[in-house]
Amino acid sequence: MTIDLTQFHDAFFEESFEALDSMEAALLKLDIGAPDSELINTIFRVAHSIKGGSATFGFSDIASFTHSLETLLDELRSGGMQVTLAISDLLLKSVDVMRAMLRSVQAKQPLDAQRISDLQFDLELIIAQKNAAAAPTYTVMPAAIAHLASSAPAPGAAAPGATAPGATAHRRWEISFRPYRELFARGNDPLRMMRELAELGELDVKADLSAVPGFAELDPQACYLAWTLGLTGDVSEEAIKQVFEWAEGDCDLVVRLLNAPDETPVTVAAVEPALAAEVIADAILSASAPPEEAKADPTVHAAAAAPVLAVVKQDAKADAPLSAIGDSGSIRVSVEKIDELMNTVGELVITQAMLSQLGAAMEGPNAEKLRAGLAQLERNTRELQESVMRVRMLPISFVFSRFPRMVRDLAQRLNKQIDLKLTGEQTELDKTVLEKIGDPLVHLVRNSIDHGIESPEVRVAAGKSPVGTVHLDACHRGGNIAVEVSDDGGGLDKERILAKARARGLVGPNDALTDEQIHDLIFVPGFSTADKTTDLSGRGVGMDVVRRNVKELGGKIELRSESGRGSRFIITLPLTLAIVDGQSVAVGSETYIIPLISIVESMRLKEASISRLSGRNEVFSFRGDYLPIIRLHELFGVEPRARALHEGLVVIAEGDGRRVGLFVDDLLGQQQVVIKSLEVNYGHVEGVSGATILGDGSVALILDVTGIIHAASLRVAA
Amino acid sequence: MNKRKPGTAPRTTRRGRPARNTQPAGPEPKAGSGAFALAAECTVADASSLKSGLAKLLADTDPVTVDISCVQRIDTAGLQLIAAFMLARESQGRQVQWKGAAPAIVTAARLLGLSTLLKLPAAAETAP
Repeated sequence: MTIDLTQFHDAFFEESFEALDSMEAALLKLDIGAPDSELINTIFRVAHSIKGGSATFGFSDIASFTHSLETLLDELRSGGMQVTLAISDLLLKSVDVMRAMLRSVQAKQPLDAQRISDLQFDLELIIAQKNAAAAPTYTVMPAAIAHLASSAPAPGAAAPGATAPGATAHRRWEISFRPYRELFARGNDPLRMMRELAELGELDVKADLSAVPGFAELDPQACYLAWTLGLTGDVSEEAIKQVFEWAEGDCDLVVRLLNAPDETPVTVAAVEPALAAEVIADAILSASAPPEEAKADPTVHAAAAAPVLAVVKQDAKADAPLSAIGDSGSIRVSVEKIDELMNTVGELVITQAMLSQLGAAMEGPNAEKLRAGLAQLERNTRELQESVMRVRMLPISFVFSRFPRMVRDLAQRLNKQIDLKLTGEQTELDKTVLEKIGDPLVHLVRNSIDHGIESPEVRVAAGKSPVGTVHLDACHRGGNIAVEVSDDGGGLDKERILAKARARGLVGPNDALTDEQIHDLIFVPGFSTADKTTDLSGRGVGMDVVRRNVKELGGKIELRSESGRGSRFIITLPLTLAIVDGQSVAVGSETYIIPLISIVESMRLKEASISRLSGRNEVFSFRGDYLPIIRLHELFGVEPRARALHEGLVVIAEGDGRRVGLFVDDLLGQQQVVIKSLEVNYGHVEGVSGATILGDGSVALILDVTGIIHAASLRVAA
Repeated sequence: MNKRKPGTAPRTTRRGRPARNTQPAGPEPKAGSGAFALAAECTVADASSLKSGLAKLLADTDPVTVDISCVQRIDTAGLQLIAAFMLARESQGRQVQWKGAAPAIVTAARLLGLSTLLKLPAAAETAP
């Protein structure tokens, strides 16, 4: 029993977290003072869904909190309350609290009751205050609307001056609700929906049992019932759709109005927004040839018209997001399943390579046919592999989406005005890469805001707009993805960095550094030019961590900065961590793979370019530099074919900002290899980042150049 | 098809109901003694055990009695199962009698439009 319910919980949590993300995004887009009613609807729907879901599952704390939130949102939606900065802050905090609550419930940990009740109190307080304060205007408003409406011969406005909120507009709705089989499994209970509908108006239920199978064949977890419902009362279509919102995508739902709105006598004050909007729009149109009464009291006119126009807008857009959600056409698949698929495809690639090798050597009457078939197999395998890789790809918007909130909060704290620009959000990259790039990006954006963008006064003094811009961009570049964080702030202060570096002894007092070398200094661990440490940045940890993280992903980070104009950080990342472009090299009887991204070039050494230092250290001259030579056969204890340096080849590879020559017997070829983790199957080996299986079935180790440099320098030191 | 062993449904006996009516899903209900008590929770999570319990009564040629007095929570899945059971019994021309009153089940049946089919005894409904 518990297992079954937990299964439903997972779907609930997953959907709720996603819904909260969209609520947060909508909140951030909300303009203070002139909010887009579509956004408010989105926000309201999220709160409503979570309230419904948590009530279903008995998470009463969440349900209670979201109820308060919903009340406030309802006020905003109806225009009874304006969106102020304070309210927007409060709503954002509510998102945080709901997220925390859901996480706690999910992890079966106790809730932070104090935080929740504090915020809930704030929410309720603000509603109470507004109710008290808004009371007079609230009564004036409907009266004004009625007054306006009655001044024009609008067909629906039959009862001039009627303001009694209890007056009803009877609309008869017919709802056809046909759930899909899996409705129960998604944690939905039609009974709960019926109950909510029954609260809205007079409900008449007809069950359709035609799909119910024989008792023996019936799956107790599947929903076979369908319903035709009649609902009479002052109910808007939106209210009905909200009841079914949680079941969206799990049922066929048709909501139909049986009686035309103007068929029933209605009083304007009690009409639900959609209808009121129509009526008032008519009224305003016909009032444009100004009637005496409206002219006589222009303030009432204005007060009435403003909220009404907002309502018109709301009605026009209300249904759009609902249908958009239903048509997403995607399914949820667990990451393990995809990894499994990926792994199997990897094996398939290896088998296919093995067959191709066998087939190439085959002779006989059918050999040609076999080879043609194998070529086809190779093509299909590659396509399959690419498709599976694409399944793992997610748009970078998953990472970008956290920034609007962060930038907003930071800008508020630092009293800066910042405009965040996001572009290329649809650029896709591997989920693993995506997860690991988040933190470095947060660091960079924080840095841009704290150090890059100046305060509005400084900006104005420098002749710039007081509003600074932070721009996040992502795009594909070859087989890589480039993510850029740029700002139009002050840029790096080269003099100060240099002075600081000199003071710390990182740079000699008279060394002349190029711009790049100066920029590189900020990636040195512990380096900071900030005069005072804030809780945001300036402690000198950060940029080195950013660079390390990016390197761990097999990427690199570049920095361009122009004094007074801003800085740009460009991160280049591989699209995936599962496959690497490698150069296979032979050392004795072994084959190793060196990632192409680490290779600078390969060359045969001339005896003359080699120098031997004290001990066993060998270096060779390469474009005016002396690079150490690492003999791979010595490092890995393999019997080589070539011992003399001029007999073999040297692969010049770069790792951790240093270049070395890797001495190998021969170069074999370039190929894409599927990385198999050595840690999972065996254990970590210094200098080896993984293994792969070659076409002939033998195992080749994939080299980690940084690790090799490290291991070799330890050997030299020993 | 159902892996649950017979007799795993008697949550009701835990609630101290007298044995006569709560002899639920007894391994082999004899003809004429067809009686079954619904558990306090008849939701989708309990639907499998509810189904295996009701299945045993299906072939009973005499009128069977289902005790609903314990039911405190029921959802659509639970009610759908009971409705399917009623349909199956009716198609065989056999009867089902209800024993006890359960506001939860009556309200749920009304809201789901199943009252007519289930012919439940009138009882005070719980507030929705």
